[in-house]
Amino acid sequence: MSATRRRFHEELEQLELDVLAMGELAEVAVGRSMDALIAHDDLLSKEVVDGDDEVDARYLSVEERTLQVLALQTPVASDLRLLSVILHTNLHLERIADMAVNIAKIAHSVSDLPSTQTILTHLREMGDIVRPMVRTAMEAFGRRDLDLCLRLPEMDDPVDRLNLGMYQEVAALAGDEAALNWGLRMLLVARQLERVGDHAVDIGEQVGFLLTGEFREFSDASHPFRNPADAS
Amino acid sequence: MRRVEAAGLSAWFGPNQVLHEVNVAAEPGTVTAIIGPSGCGKSTLIRCLNRMHEEVRGARVQGKVLFDGMDIYAADVDPVEIRRRIGMVFQRPNPFPTMSILDNAVAGLKLGGTVPRAELAERAERALRSAGLWEEVKDRLREPGGRLSGGQQQRLCIARALAVEPEVVLMDEPASALDPASTLRIEELVQELKERYTVVIVTHNMQQAARVSDWTLFMLYGELVEFGPTSKMFTKPDDQRTEDYVTGRFG
Repeated sequence: MSATRRRFHEELEQLELDVLAMGELAEVAVGRSMDALIAHDDLLSKEVVDGDDEVDARYLSVEERTLQVLALQTPVASDLRLLSVILHTNLHLERIADMAVNIAKIAHSVSDLPSTQTILTHLREMGDIVRPMVRTAMEAFGRRDLDLCLRLPEMDDPVDRLNLGMYQEVAALAGDEAALNWGLRMLLVARQLERVGDHAVDIGEQVGFLLTGEFREFSDASHPFRNPADAS
Repeated sequence: MRRVEAAGLSAWFGPNQVLHEVNVAAEPGTVTAIIGPSGCGKSTLIRCLNRMHEEVRGARVQGKVLFDGMDIYAADVDPVEIRRRIGMVFQRPNPFPTMSILDNAVAGLKLGGTVPRAELAERAERALRSAGLWEEVKDRLREPGGRLSGGQQQRLCIARALAVEPEVVLMDEPASALDPASTLRIEELVQELKERYTVVIVTHNMQQAARVSDWTLFMLYGELVEFGPTSKMFTKPDDQRTEDYVTGRFG
């Protein structure tokens, strides 16, 4: 292999390592934002918000370097698929980290409002699922493991169920203005966690594309009520 | 437009076998690119498709090349007629340098001697138009072909190949000696030619293969490794050796 091509493949490896590191940062940010919410820890909330600058800087670096490689090295085959996956995954991770920031900001804004244990328990449950989902998606990427990423939609199901149930739980707080005020913000937290789960599934779909060369959505979010039998 | 197919095609230079039982078909109205590292047999393969290979001393062929089902290596087939119907453009532009542009364009026709002189000018114009050169040379047809730029000379050679009205056009690295602008012009021309001809092109430039061809054939050590739609060969080839070659991991 020529020295130029070797440098290109070294750059590809480095880009992948940087995205894997991004995955860890984003996952940790989600976990810390939930810890801040549950423990009313303002300091931790602030750390999550401040920590997002590093995620953004890494995101921009990966984006710029990927575009440079695309422009200068005209990659094809598995190299092209890997770069496409790096670009998409990089963006998904940046969005996940932004969602952690949103949760941290909400945590800060509700620190003097009364909270409800059941809702907090359910949110914690959602957090305890989506965080491993991000880890699983990134592990599947790093290990090129198709079976692992195919598990993601199943992991996502309880997250969607908990998110849907959250509306009724918050509606039950309607009689208490302060509690409702808090609850409506928790609805936003649930929505953020549900989106984190969706991004993890999307990363899994990217890994599927990397491994098979075919892109397909693991779940049809646009037509959730469509019955396969209706297609005929 | 005709289909040209190699069936169990092997080739030798003296005792050295350079092609091993190649089976592949170029379909009408498509461009088929042959890629592979130096010495893999891609030029030999394309030269077997119009019986140019046998022009080399000690070279021989086994197997068949079917031109719309007819074996061009059958005993009663005239190789000169085959080379008229299956034309070839070479790597380096090779016009006759002192011959006029017009005479260069119809040199093949003159050699055949079947076209009346009165028709030659018209046939030259048609060929030069097909090769995308007419507008650039119509006012200087009497100038020597050697005065044209490299890219224009190559299009003049393409015009010469087209003037005899072939049905298949074979191109052996037609742009490798040209600058980027001339290369682009040749690539555009290849796209135009496939509307009327079956085109097979050998190229060292993989991006060129990706840009101009519908089908790609990857060769290694005289063997056909993989043949498939170009879009697939450059995104998800089936064979690891193809993958390694197109991504630059060897070769």
